[in-house]
Amino acid sequence: MNADVRHEPVVSDPYAGFVQPPQVRLKVEQVSYAYSATDRTAPKFTLGPVSFEGHQRELVAILGPNASGKSTLLKLLAGLIKPLSGRIEVDGEEVSSMELRTRAQRIALVAQESEMLFPLRVWEYVLQGRYPYGRRLRFESAEDCLMAGNALAQVGAEALRDRWMDQLSGGEKQRVILARAMAQQPSLLLLDEPTQHLDIGGKVELLRRLRKLADENRYTVIVVTHELNLAAEFSDRIALLHKGKCLRIGSPDEVYQPEILEEVFEAPLEVEMRSTGRPRVLLRGARE
Amino acid sequence: MISPKRETPLRVESQNTDPNQSKLTLSARESVASRLAVFARLFYFGGTELQLFLSKRWFAVAAMAVCGAASVSAPALASAPTQIRQQSALANGASSARATKLVTDDSGSSVAIPVAVQRIVTLAPNLTETVYALGIEDKLAADTTYCDTPLAAKAKPHVGGPANPSLEAIVATHPDLVLATTMTSRETIDALRKLGLAVYFADPHTVRGMLDTTQKIADITGAPEKGAELVASLQARLDALRARLDERPLQHVLFVVWEDPLISIGQNTFIADALRWAGGESVIVASQDWPQVSMEEVLRIEPEYIILTPDHAETDNSHEIDELRARPVWRELKAVKLGRIALADEEFIRPSPGLVGSIESLARQLHPEVFGVPATAGASLTAPVREPATPKATSGAIRLAAIHAGLKPTQEHASCGL
Amino acid sequence: MRPLTPKRILGVCAALAAVLFIECVVSLRLGAYPISIVDIVKTLFHGAIGHWDEVPDEYKSVIFGIRLPRIALGILVGSTLATAGAGFQALLRNPLADPYVLGVSSGAALGAIVSLIVAPHTVGAIQLAAFIGAAATVGVVYLLGRRGGQLDTATLLLAGIVAASFLSAVIMFLMTTLSGRDLRGMAFWLMGDLQTPPPIQNVPAWFAFLFTIFVFAAGAIYTTASDLNLILTGEQEARHLGVNVSRVKLVVYVAASVLTGLAVSVSGAIGYVGLLVPHAMRFLFGNDYRLLIPTSIIGGAIAIVLADTLARTIAAPTELPVGAMTALAGAPVFIYLMRRRVR
Repeated sequence: MNADVRHEPVVSDPYAGFVQPPQVRLKVEQVSYAYSATDRTAPKFTLGPVSFEGHQRELVAILGPNASGKSTLLKLLAGLIKPLSGRIEVDGEEVSSMELRTRAQRIALVAQESEMLFPLRVWEYVLQGRYPYGRRLRFESAEDCLMAGNALAQVGAEALRDRWMDQLSGGEKQRVILARAMAQQPSLLLLDEPTQHLDIGGKVELLRRLRKLADENRYTVIVVTHELNLAAEFSDRIALLHKGKCLRIGSPDEVYQPEILEEVFEAPLEVEMRSTGRPRVLLRGARE
Repeated sequence: MISPKRETPLRVESQNTDPNQSKLTLSARESVASRLAVFARLFYFGGTELQLFLSKRWFAVAAMAVCGAASVSAPALASAPTQIRQQSALANGASSARATKLVTDDSGSSVAIPVAVQRIVTLAPNLTETVYALGIEDKLAADTTYCDTPLAAKAKPHVGGPANPSLEAIVATHPDLVLATTMTSRETIDALRKLGLAVYFADPHTVRGMLDTTQKIADITGAPEKGAELVASLQARLDALRARLDERPLQHVLFVVWEDPLISIGQNTFIADALRWAGGESVIVASQDWPQVSMEEVLRIEPEYIILTPDHAETDNSHEIDELRARPVWRELKAVKLGRIALADEEFIRPSPGLVGSIESLARQLHPEVFGVPATAGASLTAPVREPATPKATSGAIRLAAIHAGLKPTQEHASCGL
Repeated sequence: MRPLTPKRILGVCAALAAVLFIECVVSLRLGAYPISIVDIVKTLFHGAIGHWDEVPDEYKSVIFGIRLPRIALGILVGSTLATAGAGFQALLRNPLADPYVLGVSSGAALGAIVSLIVAPHTVGAIQLAAFIGAAATVGVVYLLGRRGGQLDTATLLLAGIVAASFLSAVIMFLMTTLSGRDLRGMAFWLMGDLQTPPPIQNVPAWFAFLFTIFVFAAGAIYTTASDLNLILTGEQEARHLGVNVSRVKLVVYVAASVLTGLAVSVSGAIGYVGLLVPHAMRFLFGNDYRLLIPTSIIGGAIAIVLADTLARTIAAPTELPVGAMTALAGAPVFIYLMRRRVR
């Protein structure tokens, strides 16, 4: 077992050698963040420095054990918190200095749950995603309805249009929430552990859909997840975080090295390369 | 219906990677919102559009709106005289000019009352009683639903309760004069005055004050001689009572307005004054009118008499005595043990001519020996308004409990006051 | 998919306004003093064009002195309370919120009581003091309700409840030490009363003044209507969509408190309107605040005018308190709507 886990991030560019590399959407340069817990004796949590780039049509999975800084990184990308150092740029503009509405037009953060105080119909909910466009007090135009309809169609929730939000199942609700995020017409689509409450069929379906959306709508999709194998199957690149440090960024087969995975997740893991070129992570007899 | 197929190029191109394109679509949306443009522009709160909020254009539009509203409404209606100066002119067809005189009422306000008062509305039971006592009940156009003394008052038209009468009903009776007391809220009195009605506010704090108010009401309603006669006879009775009670020490009493919670009277109420006329002194010293008292205080002070105010006319106090003797803390009181419970009828708590009779009957209960009343069974507490000056010795006797056959004239003077 | 259009808003509001108009006509007709509809119309007409000599004095005082100001005040107070209620329900994310939950009415009542102690005979002192009391309460609760520099819903609610309790206790204390006369005035105040006369002679100017305040405050809330729709699906999500949540909350908070202070200072605390009318409008017309606010405005006016008309005619000549009527009439309506809800 390799006790020496390297701390410099290893970044590899899967698009190196392409004639025309896809457009760089997201630039993360030396971003770091730190916060201290409310209890003064607990140590500070530090994230970073992290650097990587995200391209069009790319699905990046952020992996790591609990408390490794995945959600913090996602919040930094969404612009919810400001980095202590470094820059995050989306489409050339720095995220932390963006206006709220502009940010909403570029970045969509897909919520996990939606707590609704008063009942809302699905199409009303998705139409709300059009808010960043237009004046503050606005009435939706035909174009807005078109966009919302498209979004619903793309997630396969057309039939749910007139249903009430609180009558949907978990999977249906998530599709609708995704549709609302898509109605924002973002460049960057962020999801924080979207597969948490889904069964295996739902998980696969979601990631398939995200893959398709990344391809069709030219999104850059960044997913924080625990699902090692699904990430390996569907993502273009994986960022592996451990205790606030970004250890590896690269294609799944590059990142999934057994020694590193075991060290990071503290579990007996094996990596198997499949014929598709995607690795598969297996549990190596845990009862020891 | 949008087909969810991949090959729709429109959808893919509509990504806002092209800033120019998004600007175009934005203007299309603006035309929709421009329908409400005027309103929206008035209140456009935006982030960096804070300048817009503070811009002169906003204030200008707002100022114009306010000025417009004011200018439209003000001239037409501002000149509307909402006062009725001669409302009763319609009722009796007199000429438009009515002579009025300025009178100061008990609140210190100057009220312009017509010299010839034909129609009166009373807003409290004691005022109704005063009107009947003065013999001018045919001028009484309406009273309240609670006015039941004398019984004939119940047949008069009603304008509601004393506290919240119907303004319209009062106006509908075309009164020349409205009589009101503290039972009516200040807002109602102001509203009635604003409508041009003459409202005389009567609020006596003493028994003599009540007599003065009665005289004043007699004066303004055109029955000064009757008033003088009534006041004189009442005063004579009071003087006679005082003479009889002369040199008797005042009995220390607890006047119970309400039992649960225990509420008594304050020093400034006319009840306290009436009590003194009846030969008693309230043991509760408080500046509030209706102070709530704790039983502990009462136990410490040990009043000599307890005065209750029963709802309906009681002929004797045996029922009350038994009831109090059954109550846990009350039965420890000396006054309860000795059966020294006096009953005050409802006239006692009302500043009206009938108060004098009530005072007399209470005096008989507090100082039975003065009136030569033996401790016999059966007692009547009747106190008719037009009683002759000398109280009868046989009526109004109090029945005391059998324990104390002879009541000593001298009592211990417990310390009073809090 | 039928998105909300201005046309639909105007249509619904026109229908509600028609109901309000009919209600006002009926209310003008009812009362202890008998006046026929024809005479009412003639009086209104002559009054509007300024021919006062053609109007009998009695009619003038009854219609312009008693009924019309009462109806006008009812419309104003109803609209104000319903709008404030809708605003607070969104702000506090609680369907049980009403305009008084943050202690504003207790603050206004305390101001009124203090003015009765200090300056009982000054014209207009009560209204002004009530308004100051409401404003002061708003300020204190705001300061207490902040967390990390912005309005936190749960903390705000707690701060409001604490303020309401504390102020009520102070009011009780003062009421027991006041003499009998002032007590009666306060009992009215706390139960609500639409008969309070305006403090200045020029009644239309007074109403224009009140109406202007209402328009500005309600308008301010209306500009945040789209934002409120989003905030109601989650504050974080709304932030992601570009809503400046902290500023929207502040605007709604201030505006709704202004509205509540206004209502309490002119008519006392009339309950249930701010709570029930927005819910009724939601059941009838949906949750979209761009439609809910205008319908609440007119719906609140309808509710109060109805309650007041009932209050002064049901047990004539006794006048019942308006607040009791709103509760009696409002609760069954609410239950009926709740059962009819298609869910």
